[in-house]
Amino acid sequence: MALPYHVLTACGRVIFAARGGNIYSFSPDLQHLSAWKYPAKQAKAANGSSLEAKASPVPEEPPTKRRRVEPGKEEDSNGNGHAIEGDAPNAKGNKQLKKEKKVQDLSHRLFEQPYIQSITTTTNGRYVVAVTGSDKTIWVFEHDGAGNLKQLSSRTMPKRPCSIAITPDSQTILSADKFGDVYAVPLLQSAADQQQAESKEATPAPDVRSATPSSTTIAQPFKPQANEFTVHTKRNLRALENQKLGLQTKGGADKPAEPAFEHTLLLGHVSMLTAVVVGVHPATRRSYIVTGDRDEHIRVSRGAPAQAHIIETFCLGHEDFVSRLCLPAPAARPEVLVSGGGDDHLFVWDWTRGALLSKASVLAHVQRVVPQQRNIAVSRIYACPAGHGEDGSVLVFVVCERVPALFCFEFKGNTLYYHATIATPGNPLDVTNVESGSSSPSPRLLLAVDTITLAESQGGFSLFWADWEAALGWRLRSCQETPVMAGGDEPTFKPEDLHKILYTTESLRKTTDFE
Amino acid sequence: MGGAKNKRQKREDYRISLREEGTTELPRKKFYRQRAHANPFSDHQLIYPPSPDQMDWSSLFPYYVTEEDATEAEDSTPEALAGQGLQPVEPKRLSKDVEVADIGCGFGGLLIALAPVMPETLILGLEIRVSVTQFVEDKINALRGQNQEKGLYRNIGVLRANTMKFLPNFFTKGQLSKIFICFPDPHFKARKHKQRIVSTTLNSEYAYVLRPGGIVYTITDVPDLHGWMVQHFDAHPSFERVEEEEQEADPCVAIMRSETEEGKKVERNNGQKHVALFRRLADPPYGEVE
Repeated sequence: MALPYHVLTACGRVIFAARGGNIYSFSPDLQHLSAWKYPAKQAKAANGSSLEAKASPVPEEPPTKRRRVEPGKEEDSNGNGHAIEGDAPNAKGNKQLKKEKKVQDLSHRLFEQPYIQSITTTTNGRYVVAVTGSDKTIWVFEHDGAGNLKQLSSRTMPKRPCSIAITPDSQTILSADKFGDVYAVPLLQSAADQQQAESKEATPAPDVRSATPSSTTIAQPFKPQANEFTVHTKRNLRALENQKLGLQTKGGADKPAEPAFEHTLLLGHVSMLTAVVVGVHPATRRSYIVTGDRDEHIRVSRGAPAQAHIIETFCLGHEDFVSRLCLPAPAARPEVLVSGGGDDHLFVWDWTRGALLSKASVLAHVQRVVPQQRNIAVSRIYACPAGHGEDGSVLVFVVCERVPALFCFEFKGNTLYYHATIATPGNPLDVTNVESGSSSPSPRLLLAVDTITLAESQGGFSLFWADWEAALGWRLRSCQETPVMAGGDEPTFKPEDLHKILYTTESLRKTTDFE
Repeated sequence: MGGAKNKRQKREDYRISLREEGTTELPRKKFYRQRAHANPFSDHQLIYPPSPDQMDWSSLFPYYVTEEDATEAEDSTPEALAGQGLQPVEPKRLSKDVEVADIGCGFGGLLIALAPVMPETLILGLEIRVSVTQFVEDKINALRGQNQEKGLYRNIGVLRANTMKFLPNFFTKGQLSKIFICFPDPHFKARKHKQRIVSTTLNSEYAYVLRPGGIVYTITDVPDLHGWMVQHFDAHPSFERVEEEEQEADPCVAIMRSETEEGKKVERNNGQKHVALFRRLADPPYGEVE
């Protein structure tokens, strides 16, 4: 079974759709324009057998990060940040490695493939930013307006980015990562940075002053921090002595190299971040960074890099993870934020005050489609103006993981009103609004649907149009013209593997609940 | 195995007897020991309010509960929420808010020593380990019982919480005037530095709950951790180090040195104690620094 398209982004009159590590571009009538393929060389490196690791096996040391290997318990691509895995077939006597290797079957590798997890464009559409998950890389492309992408840079972040945002001035990318930190990286690399990247030097970039100094920049040779005064038990004392001895012989452990490009730590949560958006204050026009995390928090910090350490407020009220943040009307109502996650409701906030404006139940509507559904995991919130915006109302579309329908709400005043449920022939993965060019009064949606759950009758087409017709409501039409990309080199997946790759939101839920 | 079970049984029996008898006898530490470390990143079975206004403080500070009825508060409920019946039940209010937090209070030595020194201030200890929290709770109850007529120890309470994650769930912006961080887990390994209770990014949250002029008190016996804490608070624009002279004049510093359980242990082992205080500065207006 081939991967379906799983990320959609419209940029003017061009649609970008990602499948695995590749990005394809289409015209509004779904004519294939161009494609960017994930570089094969990198794919190999990210796929495991890192050459250096092979060349110098360190027999007595365990692999840098231990992977959990029981099948069933395998973390999904979201919860699995370890990209490099020692393959090392020649490292004899290395029991640990051997043991691990034995248990891993090939399918685990598929999770480690770098899949595109988001595509973001600058407001003018000139630049496209994509994130691949397992290799922690942010890719920046120049877009010629006709669907052709020219790769400008690829930067590997210190930790896996979970969500990115581009600042309103289109100068900076904010990357919120799995470790809970938000880094600012310039959209376009400076010439010096680029040179460095080309010469592959490992010298760290010039330390950029931010109010939040990165703790990792303080690189010092390792030295035990305990001393005879702080260690009280006999056993610990012995351990300390051993540590000191080991230090003399080894000369200190080396730290992982810092990325060699400009990156600035702005702020951090202790929990895993799941979403970041940049809001603009309606009165002062100043920007703020809004971050959502797995531990139910939505934090509002100042957007200026020198003041990002100042937390203005929190939007508190979620009782399960936050997975998506959306500014439904950034022009007309910039202070409004919609958030969703593991809770039964969507929350509508005034993020400038941290005040809850209203809630809208999603679970109730999900249960009309899937009656046995107990809880939901919101995987997409997508807003677009309804019609030509004469009344300023906004449609908010919600995708819940593994629910074969798209839920449509209308945002008016301070409230989300339920509007419609668009039943889909399979589980929707992403949705975007495409400028139809014609004078049709309502938005035209493009939906990407999961091929596993797709009904046989659809003939394997995974993209669908949804149009609003006053008399009939939402009408769904499969895109028969979708070019089927399946070539000889396309990897095929077992359905259960595909599920693990495509559905990563539900795993954010805490399992230690009393229920 | 049998031994372990035996021990657990003894503990349970002890605690039950303590409750049932309702004695004012102080609890004994040996029935509450717990491993000294907890992983702040894991999802413990924690209980915490979704937001500070839904926190019910009445069980922790029963002597400060106000008896005003909640009709007044209801008027401020946003209509949209009231209409949907989604507004949570208002918890009982206290006559004053918690102003001092002891993060990682351990066996509560500091809390108990501070209680008579700041009788008009509500002081909350926060501890991640269950048994240890239980010990402090039992001890506070016993002390309250012993000092019934003097009304002592009514201003302290203890709560099990992971403050690294959930501090803003308990306290509103600028609610606290003092935060104590006493003998925190040093997390020696470089890889575990993010688990330290003081880090550049986490300091922003301390700044959020502290009012301008509020003070963070730190003490440790690990010189490198002291260096780390000083470095990270110094580097944070919302804090400035309190001068040594002022530091030594602060009565809380002496108590922190001598009364924390860990402080006493360090004393016994002839260890060093490193103290550093940091004052929360007022936020500059947005836009001054560009």
